[in-house]
Amino acid sequence: MSTIAGHRTISGRVWTAVAVVAVLLFSLFPVLVMVSTALDARANAGERNLLPTDFSLDNFSFVLDEGGFTTYLRNSIIVALATVLISALIALLASVAVSRFKFRFRTAVLMMILIVQMVPLEALVIPLFLQAKSLNLLDHLFGLVIVYVAFSLPFAIWTLRGFVAAIPLEIEEAAYVDGASWPRMFWSVLLPLCAPGLVATSVFSFITAWNEFIFAITFLDDESKYTVAAGLRQFFTQYGTNWGAVMAGSTLITVPVMLFFVAVQRRLSSGLVAGAVKG
Amino acid sequence: MSAEPTLTETARVGDPSDLPPGGSGRTPARRGIRIPRKLWLPWLLLTPALGVLGVLLLYPLYRVGALSLQEYRLRNIVTGEVEWLGIDNYREVLTDPLLWKVAFPNTAVFAVVNVALTVVVGTLIALLLARVGPWTRGLLTSAIMAAWAVPAVTGTYVWVFLFDSRAGLVMHVLGDLGLVDPDTTNWFTERLPFYGIATLNVVHHGFPFVAITVLAGLMTLSREVMEAAIIDGANAWQRFWYVTVPLLKPVFAVVTILSTIWDFKVFTQIYLMPGGDGANRDVLNLGTWSYITAISQNNFGLGAAIAVLLTLLLLAITGVYLRVLFRQEEL
Repeated sequence: MSTIAGHRTISGRVWTAVAVVAVLLFSLFPVLVMVSTALDARANAGERNLLPTDFSLDNFSFVLDEGGFTTYLRNSIIVALATVLISALIALLASVAVSRFKFRFRTAVLMMILIVQMVPLEALVIPLFLQAKSLNLLDHLFGLVIVYVAFSLPFAIWTLRGFVAAIPLEIEEAAYVDGASWPRMFWSVLLPLCAPGLVATSVFSFITAWNEFIFAITFLDDESKYTVAAGLRQFFTQYGTNWGAVMAGSTLITVPVMLFFVAVQRRLSSGLVAGAVKG
Repeated sequence: MSAEPTLTETARVGDPSDLPPGGSGRTPARRGIRIPRKLWLPWLLLTPALGVLGVLLLYPLYRVGALSLQEYRLRNIVTGEVEWLGIDNYREVLTDPLLWKVAFPNTAVFAVVNVALTVVVGTLIALLLARVGPWTRGLLTSAIMAAWAVPAVTGTYVWVFLFDSRAGLVMHVLGDLGLVDPDTTNWFTERLPFYGIATLNVVHHGFPFVAITVLAGLMTLSREVMEAAIIDGANAWQRFWYVTVPLLKPVFAVVTILSTIWDFKVFTQIYLMPGGDGANRDVLNLGTWSYITAISQNNFGLGAAIAVLLTLLLLAITGVYLRVLFRQEEL
C-alpha cells in the first residue's frame, strides 16, 4: 500500500495523525484512569483528576494486606496455570486427531466443537452449579479448573487445528523413516512445531481462567478461595465504594495480563488469523 | 464436505503416507505400500477432549433442558424430588411482559447496535493501521492489544467509576460545565443511559478483535488490485466499497457473526453495573434475568427456561455462522 500512501496530501496526513491520537486515547483511556486512581491516595476524596493528586502506593498495600489480594492472586494463578496446562495437552491431542486423520464422524466432531462454543455460560451455570453442589465441589478450586478447561477447549482445538495442518507431512514421514514410533514422532516433531500455536491458545486459556467471573462468584462462597475477579466485589459495600481499592485491585488483575498480551501479540494475531480467517 | 472419500476406511489426510505398524516402529516406512489403518488412534486422541466436553458442556445442556420443564427450587435440591411441569415455565416466561418489554429488547437491540458499532469502529481502525508506517502501526497495535487485554470485570468497573454520580470524572466535568446537575443525575437508573454506558464498554472490549482480524485480511490483498483500481480512477471510498469489501467478505462475515454471538450473551458487563444484578428490573437482559431467577432467587426451573430461550436464539445465529463458514471452504 506504499504507493497509495505516496498519493496522500498534507490534509490527509493531518487527519491520519488525528486518527492515530484518537485511537491511542480511546484504547488506553480506561487503563490510564484505572492506574492513576490506584496510585492516588485521595481517590475517595471526591476530587477527580486524570493524574494522581497525592501519589502513593497506599491503595495497593491496603488491597494486598487487608483486602486479601495476596490470597486471591495466588488462587487465580493456581487456577489459571492448571487450566492452561490441562487444556493445552487435551487440545493438542484432539487437534492432531481432527487435522491428521480422516475418520467417521470427523465432521460431526468438528461441528460439535464449533457449536458448543456458542452456548452461553448463563445456560451452563445453572446445571453446573447444581452438579457441583451435589458433588461437594463448590468452594474447591479444582471445580473451577475443570469448568474452565471445558470452556477453553473448543477455541484451543479450533485454533491448533490450523497449526497442526500447516506442518508438512514429509517432516512426519522423515521421523518414521528414522525409526520413530507415533508417540515419539508426536513428542519430537508435532509438539515443538506447534509451539507458536500453543502460545496463542495458552494465552487464551489463561485469560479465560483469569478473567472468568460468573462461575467464580457462583461456585465460591468461602473468602479464602476467592479468585481475583470475585475478590474485587468486597470493596463495594452498602456504605459506599472504596474506589481507590477497586482500582488498585483492578490494576493488579489487568496489568500482568496486558503485558503478557502485548509481549506475544505477533504470535497471538497469527494464531487468531489461523483460527478465525481460515475458519 | 463434498469430496470426502469412503469414510469407512481410515486413511491419512493428504498424500499417501502411512504410519508404521504399532510395535515394529524400526522398519522404515515404504511410501504408499503398507497402510496400517489405526482406526482407534484418532479416537484415542479425542477421548480426553470429548470426555471433558461431554461431561461439562453437553450433559449440562441436556440438564438445563430437563430443568426448564421442572419445578426445581431449594427443597428439590435437598429432597432430590423431581416435579415435572411440562411447558409451564415457558408459558410463564413467554407471557411475562418483562420478556417482551424489557429483557428481549435489552438483549437484541443492544446486540445489534453494539455489533454495528464494533464492526464499523474496528474496520476503520484496521484501515488506519494499514496506511500508517510500520513504527506507528506497532505502537497502535500494542495499544489495541492493551485494550483487548482489559478483563471484562475491571473494564466495567472503570466505566462505572467514570460515570458514577458522586465520584465520576465524566459527571464532574459535565457538572463543572453546567451541563448536568450531579446531585440529581444518576445515569444508571434509566435504561437508555445505562445501556449507553454498557455500549461504550462493550465496543471498547470488542473492537480489537475486529481491527486485528480485518487488518490481517487487508494484508492479504495484493497491491496490484489496488493499483489497478487507482489507475481506473477509483477514489478511496470506491476502492474500499467495490474492491476491499467484496474481497474480504468472508472476513467481515466471520467478525460480524462472532461479535453478534458475543454481544447476545453479554453478562458480566451488565451484571456488574449498578442495578444490573437484579435491583433494577428495567435493565435486565436475558442472561442476567436467567441468572438472577435461578441462582439468586433459587427458582432453577424458571431460570433454566429463560436460559434455554437464550441458547436457542444463539443456536439460530450459529446456524448462520456455520453456513457462512461452509460456503467459504471445507472444514
